[in-house]
Amino acid sequence: MEFYLFGELIVLPTDVVAAWVSVILGTPIVLYWLTKKRHWPVIWDYATSTNHRKIGTLYIIFAILFFFRAGIDALFIRLQLVTPENQFWVFQGDKYNEIFTTHGTMMIFFVAMPLLIGLMNVAVPLQIGANDLAFPFLNAIGFYLFLTGGMIFFAAFFFNAAPNAGWTAYAPLSTYEFTGGPNNNYYIFGLQISGLGTIFAAINMIVTILRLRAPGLKLTRMPLFPWASLITSFLILVAFPVLAIALLLLQFDRLYGATFFVGELGHPVYWQHLFWIFGHPEVYILALPAFGIFSDIISAFSRKNVFGYTSMVIALALIGMLGFMVWAHHMFTVGLGPFANTFFAITTMMIAVPTGVKVFNWLFTMRRGVIRIKTPMLFALGFIPTFVMGGVTGVMLASAAADMQYHDTYFVVAHFHYVIIGSTVLGAFAGLYYWYPKMTGKMLDEKLGKWHFWLFLIGFHLTFFPQHLAGLNGMPRRVYDYTWEDGVFVYNFISTIGAFMMGASMLFVIWNVYKTHRPKKENVGADPWDGRTLEWYVPSPAPEHPFEKMPIIDRRDALWWAKQEGKPLPVAEHHRASPVSIRTVQPFVLSVALTIMSFGFIYGWLWMQIIGGAASLGFFVLRAFNDERTAVYRKEEQDNEQ
Amino acid sequence: MKILVLLSFLFILSGCNLRVLDPKTQTASDQAFLIYLSFGIMMFVVLVVALLFIAFTVKYRETEKNRHDVPKHEEGNRTLEIIWTVLPIILLIGLAVPTVMITYDVSYIGASSDDNAVHVNVTGEQFRWTFEYENGKETHKKLVLPEDREVIFHLTSKDVIHSFWVPKLAGKIDVLPGEENRLKVTPEETGTYQGKCAEYCGTLHADMRFEAEVMEQEEFQAWLNEE
Ligand code: HEM
Ligand SMILES: [Cu+2]
Ligand SMILES: [Cu+2]
Repeated sequence: MEFYLFGELIVLPTDVVAAWVSVILGTPIVLYWLTKKRHWPVIWDYATSTNHRKIGTLYIIFAILFFFRAGIDALFIRLQLVTPENQFWVFQGDKYNEIFTTHGTMMIFFVAMPLLIGLMNVAVPLQIGANDLAFPFLNAIGFYLFLTGGMIFFAAFFFNAAPNAGWTAYAPLSTYEFTGGPNNNYYIFGLQISGLGTIFAAINMIVTILRLRAPGLKLTRMPLFPWASLITSFLILVAFPVLAIALLLLQFDRLYGATFFVGELGHPVYWQHLFWIFGHPEVYILALPAFGIFSDIISAFSRKNVFGYTSMVIALALIGMLGFMVWAHHMFTVGLGPFANTFFAITTMMIAVPTGVKVFNWLFTMRRGVIRIKTPMLFALGFIPTFVMGGVTGVMLASAAADMQYHDTYFVVAHFHYVIIGSTVLGAFAGLYYWYPKMTGKMLDEKLGKWHFWLFLIGFHLTFFPQHLAGLNGMPRRVYDYTWEDGVFVYNFISTIGAFMMGASMLFVIWNVYKTHRPKKENVGADPWDGRTLEWYVPSPAPEHPFEKMPIIDRRDALWWAKQEGKPLPVAEHHRASPVSIRTVQPFVLSVALTIMSFGFIYGWLWMQIIGGAASLGFFVLRAFNDERTAVYRKEEQDNEQ
Repeated sequence: MKILVLLSFLFILSGCNLRVLDPKTQTASDQAFLIYLSFGIMMFVVLVVALLFIAFTVKYRETEKNRHDVPKHEEGNRTLEIIWTVLPIILLIGLAVPTVMITYDVSYIGASSDDNAVHVNVTGEQFRWTFEYENGKETHKKLVLPEDREVIFHLTSKDVIHSFWVPKLAGKIDVLPGEENRLKVTPEETGTYQGKCAEYCGTLHADMRFEAEVMEQEEFQAWLNEE
């Protein structure tokens, strides 16, 4: 479509037009529905809250919205690849490059990460007996930074400027010379801002877990999800600043003609090192929390304690540590030489050992248990074989010389979808079904949950199993086209069918949520699953100040043992000073300021950079001079003296 | 589950036709060997996990009878934990040793041992390849190579990063701007093989293809000398 605006010729591809039309038609309908159902007070309540459960819920809601967007990208990819020499809509050449870039980037940063951080927000404080995260205000800021980054990235498409250098944005392709225009600036600012939010979330999580545990809940008595969250947070604290630096350097290359990644003094491989020093730990940042969720769920639904608790914790820590020593396994074909290649091959193989320990411990947690197959457990059971299949292809990839054949083919695409979907996405679904009562007070429907699970899992294997073969038959990733002679038609065809099954399974999630909230069902009690950990001690949904009197913990799974012995958990005399929740619109204001600043940089409009930048800076100055908590501190001290 | 069994069957059947597993040089054979070896070792692991998984989920499922049982508390089991730590280490050593050896073998280190080697300068650019022979002959879509003679590729890029890949001849090697990477192969069978760019390089990355044709030596000489 072409038209004139202020005398300038504007050319809009039909997919962008379609997106605008659906937004323009859809928005009034949604607004009308929200008004008619009187949802505005609830939305206001959540948007201005600093409560961990509400912020966690928001993280999850937006992650799922982004999941649908990135999922539609995936379906477009699969439609374009369904047959050889296909021409689906506009998705060839640059348009195809845009959708796989936005698909990958959104899935990692705006789906997988916030799903996990959202679940941590909801569950971790309750599991350790904290009344909230240590810094509730910072938590709200973290959420708004994620949302801002996500929205900036999301918006790119509407201005026909979606990033197109792949989620890895390799230089020099990602520098101004080869991909001019605003496209990859969206990538830089979307990730930079949301990444800062992630760092805040990690700091918050670390302090909360180290400082706010219930009396007697030593680290060695902590459930495995908080353990995984703690270790993950340390990984974030190291890895995300590396990404921030890499993005900043790229920004200088793109906007101001610096030459960190090109030219005489720069080198494109520097980008790859920086990106993967962040990127590989990122993979474990996605996997470890999922491991934690599965450990808790498998134990709860087998009615047994976790098998080999100590080795589970050690394995988490080892995986986290080794995760920093393997980044160059993404660079076996760069020509770093056989010494570097074999070194990184071996460190990578070493990670398989603690990972294997975890798999066997999960299996043996089920042994001699009583396995209740409810939806969360179903996802955990689907996880074990799926993840193991992804893990073993990981070891195959670690074999450096062999990887020169697999690298950048569909074999790799299959591998990382097996591990990411196998662990993170199945884990997030499991956690969602498991903690939904704690978040909302309602249980999701079991039957629809099972439909979701089976369609998703079968669709998943149909989609990604054949891709191993496509890769071995020579199909590179990130191509929009292949020929009949390539001999990969059947694999791609099956793959597309599977993708639509996965898409269909997500409709069951919508239906399930709709059904669950439809007839004003009674809230379930505190402990609908017969759980073992502390979150099942407080009412559902978890109230703002869940632990009035702190429970005293004298062993692992204390709640479970108290239930077995038919006694209530002992509680402490005094209540504890706990984080103070407030109502605030400040994070939203910051979010607006940062959006203005980012668009200024993305399009190179200096005046907007100055306004947005000054507003953001001013925000920090204002914050430095006011602290809502002072009043409350004094009050709690007095309470305790009485 | 059924689908999985079926698909894995397909996998084994089609194994010999897949390009990566149909090597025409020693380099690619070595790499295919590593693939089979790691696949074999890993299938053993998958099998063990699958058996335990099926056994436990079938045997310990909740039934009417055990619904109210409370399983015994079980801290762990030292022997078992040692087994599943040590056994994988042994398996991985079994994979790591050949990996190291073959990785050194397939990497180009130092000068060529063969004076008779053919040198080809490979230049990648958006979106085509240029193959330049020692006598100055240049081609784009077609890379012609002699049978049973060592070929050394000198690869470099004019713009972004590309990756040179002929699955039947060898694993890929990146083609970087401002840097020369090298790759050494000795084709052992005449025929025409697909070549592709394997590193995403922009709009028409998918079209950056070429054909590698391996000819008998005399034929190759004749081809090289014709205009
Ligand atoms: C829902 C079903 C999904 C389907 C059908 C799907 C399909 C695909 C396909 C076909 C590609 C390769 C595109 C190409 O190389 O040309 C791809 C790339 C990718 N996918 Fe997915 N995917 C799905 C879900 C996910 C999820 C859940 C994640 C992560 C949380 C994810 C992360 C990625 C990443 C990181 C890439 C690489 C993008 C790049 O090459 O820059 N995908 N996906
Ligand atoms: Cu990695
Ligand atoms: Cu390319």
